[in-house]
Amino acid sequence: MSTKINRRDFLRLAGTTGAALIVLGAKTAASAQASVTKESKHRWAMVIDQAKCTGCGDCTLACRASNDVAKGKEWNVVLQDKPVGGKPVYLPRPCMHCEHPPCAEVCPVGATYKRDDGIVMMDYNKCIGCRYCEVACPYGARVFNWEENTQPNDAVPQWGTPEIVRRPRGVPEKCSFCYQRIDRGLEQGLTPGVDRRATPACVVACPAGARIFGDLNDPESNVSKWLKANDHHRLRADLGTEPRVYYLAKRS
Amino acid sequence: MTKNNFTLVDVLRHWLMYPIWMLGLAITILIGLAAGIAVLVKGLSLTGLTDNIPWGLWITLDLSSIAISAGAFSLSAAVYILGIKSLRPVARVAVFVGLIGYSMALLALLLDIGRPDRFWHAMVYWNTHSVLWEVTMCVALYFSVLLVEFAPLIGEAAWMQKISPRLATMMAKLHHAAPLLAVAGLGLSLLHQSSLGAMYGIIKARPIWFKPDMSILFIISAVAAGQAITVFACMVVGKLRGRTLVDRSLIDGVARFIGFTVLGYLYLRFWDFLSMNYTNVPGRGESLSVMTSGSLQWNFWIGEIILGAAIPAGLLLWARTRDDDRFVMLATALIVMGVVIYRSDTNLSGLIMTIAYTDALSPTLVTYTPTWIEWATTFGVVAYGLMAFTLGVRYLPVFTAAHHEDEIEGVKELTPSAMTA
Repeated sequence: MSTKINRRDFLRLAGTTGAALIVLGAKTAASAQASVTKESKHRWAMVIDQAKCTGCGDCTLACRASNDVAKGKEWNVVLQDKPVGGKPVYLPRPCMHCEHPPCAEVCPVGATYKRDDGIVMMDYNKCIGCRYCEVACPYGARVFNWEENTQPNDAVPQWGTPEIVRRPRGVPEKCSFCYQRIDRGLEQGLTPGVDRRATPACVVACPAGARIFGDLNDPESNVSKWLKANDHHRLRADLGTEPRVYYLAKRS
Repeated sequence: MTKNNFTLVDVLRHWLMYPIWMLGLAITILIGLAAGIAVLVKGLSLTGLTDNIPWGLWITLDLSSIAISAGAFSLSAAVYILGIKSLRPVARVAVFVGLIGYSMALLALLLDIGRPDRFWHAMVYWNTHSVLWEVTMCVALYFSVLLVEFAPLIGEAAWMQKISPRLATMMAKLHHAAPLLAVAGLGLSLLHQSSLGAMYGIIKARPIWFKPDMSILFIISAVAAGQAITVFACMVVGKLRGRTLVDRSLIDGVARFIGFTVLGYLYLRFWDFLSMNYTNVPGRGESLSVMTSGSLQWNFWIGEIILGAAIPAGLLLWARTRDDDRFVMLATALIVMGVVIYRSDTNLSGLIMTIAYTDALSPTLVTYTPTWIEWATTFGVVAYGLMAFTLGVRYLPVFTAAHHEDEIEGVKELTPSAMTA
């Protein structure tokens, strides 16, 4: 084999390689656009009415029990929002399940991915624990398992029983819209958002009825009706992430 | 110094310095190794990292190790693609430094990821949309390129020829692939050295990072740091051996090129910084003020800009200081330091302010202090790099390249000054 290569050959090779890379890059970008328009049967969404939320935190406890979340590593937090008319306002914050999830885009191994129904999932067996998703999430929705969770779950059994396995040390975790309840419910012919057993634990647990859940593809679903009837907003709409969690603002 | 009349300095220099140096490195490596094993056993709870600042000292070590390795691809490209054949001795040193740098980065990564047992996942599970996936693939491929580029150094070593003459000859023959490897290295490095910046640049959630020039700033600063550490290494080894190992006119040419590169970097950085001041993006102003007048101000003004870029650029561009070995060594060391601080500041400035995703939350300053475990492992990895370099210089022909005139055809012999002209 002759390994003698002159300069023109290098430049040609370098040019060809470069062109191939540009084509590859363009194709990747194009496929990223294509995935947006993909049709799916369901499009799950959550609506949170800040006017109704009393900040009791039951949602956090139900989430902790159902998803076996460690205390202080909450998937669903309730924050203090700006007071309206001198009265406190609360902001419950689960994962936003973005239409364009930055976490899923950056994950090097595809451990975080978006399902066709819009749920942003974590494959805890694939994750290498690089924490890029945590850096990229604009909503602070992710918590990392810096150490193994060996504590008993203090929300069990009062607030529910764990429905999924505990995550190992070294991976980040986050809210999944209780996909396990949705998937199992659909198998049993139930309607998520209507039947309690097929609805996210936080929605079921809310004593004030501040949360509703349902299918945006179904115009008769509660979420579709609520969003049609009320002014609503999403967190950091300017980022273009298009969350699937909608908020109804506190009216003064 | 007169013959047969050794002074204390001579004794130190000729007999004691090497063992003391190696002993110091060995101890640092052992402490780092113990700390590293502790991290693998006990996990990342041993670090000062939090959910607010999930990337810290190790990511700085990682980014810096890769940045200082950029001399390998840029100088190899200069030799085999631009045809500045005379630079080959410098490129050879740069390739060796690069190999060590990338291995340091891999060690740092292994510590940093939460599941080191799954380090191979990026090879198997591809998310082609992820910049980090692309970086991982490029680093893996380029590390392989560096290994092949490095093979002739082992093949040419006398001890290798004694152990297995056939294998040694085979390894030495790999130098024929050098031009091809230079093309591959250039492509792979242009990709991942830039995308390491883009890794930050595409993060919309962190407004101080979110800008298109992150990739450009990263690759330019990496080329400066990579060539600077190569020049520094050539000169330090030359001083210790008491003889010139790399022709001074070569050093001069590369030093001048580094000076212009740093100047270009400063120019881009100035407009980058200035334009950011005019965009009132929530969180960006807060992060900027941390750098200009807050907790990172010393790092930024002194470490990055004045000592890390402006002064060394001047020292390398002014002929009078560039002629003085001491100033060239000082300037190149300062540039490496400046780029390391730049990497650290980049990482911290984005994470140090919490994200405000609703009106009630204003960006607040959070802090990160590396634990002694993080420092010990970091020093351990650096000591490993220094020891590998020391051993390489001693037992491999890093500075005594064999002449392979058949390597490349049609390459003109150019003077180093032609490179910057």
